[in-house]
Amino acid sequence: MLIWFLPVFLAFLFIGLPVFFGLLAAPGILLWLNGQEKDITLLYRNVYNGMDSFPLMAIPFFMLAGELMNKGGITMRLVEFSQAFMGHLRGGLAYVNVLSSMLFAGLSGSAVADTSALGSMLIPAMEKQGYTRKFAAAITAASSVIGPIIPPSGIMIIYAYVMGESVAALFLAGIVPGILVGVGLMLVVRFMADKYDFPVASRKYTWPERGQASIKAFWPLLTPVIIMGGILGGIFTPTEAAAVAVAYALFIGFFVLRTLTVPEVPGILIRSGITSAVVLLLVGAALAFKTVVSLSHAPEQLAAYILSLSSNPLVLLFLINLLLFVVGMFLDAGPAIIILGPILGPIFVSLGVDPIHFAIIMSVNLTVGLATPPMGLVLFVASAVSGERVEAIAKAILPFLAVEIFVIFLITYVPAISMTIPRITGFAN
Amino acid sequence: MGGLLTVLAPLSYLNDRVLRVGLGIGAVAVALMVIAILIQVFFRYVLNNALPWPDEAARFSMLWMAGLMAPTAFRQGGFVAIDMLVLMLPRVVGGLINLTLLLISLVVLVVAVQIGWNEVTGFGGRFATASLYLPTSFDFSTWYRIPRSWMMTSLLVGVTLLTSVNIELILRNIVKILGGDPRLAPIPPADMGGAE
Repeated sequence: MLIWFLPVFLAFLFIGLPVFFGLLAAPGILLWLNGQEKDITLLYRNVYNGMDSFPLMAIPFFMLAGELMNKGGITMRLVEFSQAFMGHLRGGLAYVNVLSSMLFAGLSGSAVADTSALGSMLIPAMEKQGYTRKFAAAITAASSVIGPIIPPSGIMIIYAYVMGESVAALFLAGIVPGILVGVGLMLVVRFMADKYDFPVASRKYTWPERGQASIKAFWPLLTPVIIMGGILGGIFTPTEAAAVAVAYALFIGFFVLRTLTVPEVPGILIRSGITSAVVLLLVGAALAFKTVVSLSHAPEQLAAYILSLSSNPLVLLFLINLLLFVVGMFLDAGPAIIILGPILGPIFVSLGVDPIHFAIIMSVNLTVGLATPPMGLVLFVASAVSGERVEAIAKAILPFLAVEIFVIFLITYVPAISMTIPRITGFAN
Repeated sequence: MGGLLTVLAPLSYLNDRVLRVGLGIGAVAVALMVIAILIQVFFRYVLNNALPWPDEAARFSMLWMAGLMAPTAFRQGGFVAIDMLVLMLPRVVGGLINLTLLLISLVVLVVAVQIGWNEVTGFGGRFATASLYLPTSFDFSTWYRIPRSWMMTSLLVGVTLLTSVNIELILRNIVKILGGDPRLAPIPPADMGGAE
């Protein structure tokens, strides 16, 4: 009977039960019907034990660091830096938008934070220069998905914890795919800039001016160096690196840039605390769910079904990408990873796909799902920031989505894109 | 309807006040987590002295942060769900489905509260934490080893607060189904992101 927990869970999700309750209700009900009431206590214990985790602490820390940097006016410096190097090109502000997202990704790792921080600044500026509002909102939403791909990344911490992988390996594996998405988006901007005669944002900066903009952005841009350098150098664990990032954000906010004020801090702590609390509960429930997944032998049955479709891993990876893309249209990346990781991960690892490679395929695909209609989270954030209708943004984003889908398949079929850096640094085999 | 609103008003007031206190303590817990881990890094790498307690103290704070702050997210609609179907349906039908979902959630929470109580007061709760102590005298000569149940209580408090919020949401939902929406005090929507 336990095999039924998966359809029951999906039915619960479809009718709108919050994922946290669905993850517990579906297995709980079936354990009860199966006469295994004592195992329901195990569900509760797994939620608690799943939350009581040192590696998971990196999530609230990175969220807090991102919030502090955002409030501290760091976004402005990143935009100025991007403008100094790309503002003179045709379609300059669109390039600036993408490059700023890539830089912001190294600080925050959140697509939502990226959309709201950069969107509130760049969408009005782009409109003023003659871009349509829907285009400005669409490029902001499309480029924001780089946030959780380039390290640090909240969803990769979740994946690593739920699936027992190395956070550092996933962080490293995300660097090139994130840059690829950014370069792909810039190519679309290049094509559209010629076709629609986009404006240039500013005159060409001289090298001394570029140097000045780089000095101004030096402190914020040092953050990813501290985080990744600390982790790779064996100085910090990812959690410790995240706590150091918080201290660093406080330091530059208060003492270097002097843009952060003490009265702002409690609000920032509360906002990042509430968000982290929900993520922690979800991860705890996911670990409880994972226990029942393995008890039910569902992965074996699902694996047998998937293998009956084709025995070629390349075909199966194509199909799984389609599935993930559809899931990403309706569900945010974090919960989708929590639900599907324990089910799909072992199947593809048994087919010979490297676990780190599969983690990146899944993370990038579901992250792009954040910008896909009808339920893409960043579409709604971009709509709230710009005042443009979600439908209009969803239509304008299609050329950018096409490139992002192309990059997903590139990452899927060329494992070296994600695996080279972790292999060189000794974090993957 | 009047009777429902009479029951709802004090419950809303209670949840509002208790959760506000929870947010305050949760914010302090977030700050303590950061401080504990920074102390750990400083002592290990600068003073070459690996302290035993910061890891556990930070986890202690994180569990309480989650227990005290998640109910606010639930009350403000911040729990992730695919609510497309409910939004697409006519108001009353959508309201009835929502009510069913809240009742399923209530069952989960009531079971969780019962198990949580047994866990905290049972065998597992009798053990002590590995490295957390509280001073019991002003000269710090005597120390009390913090029991594990103090950590485990965080989830019990969390599911208890979630239950209280769930009951409030059920009552609000019934009032909405009956057309009393304008008479309900609004709950501000969640100002939060996600791991994304």
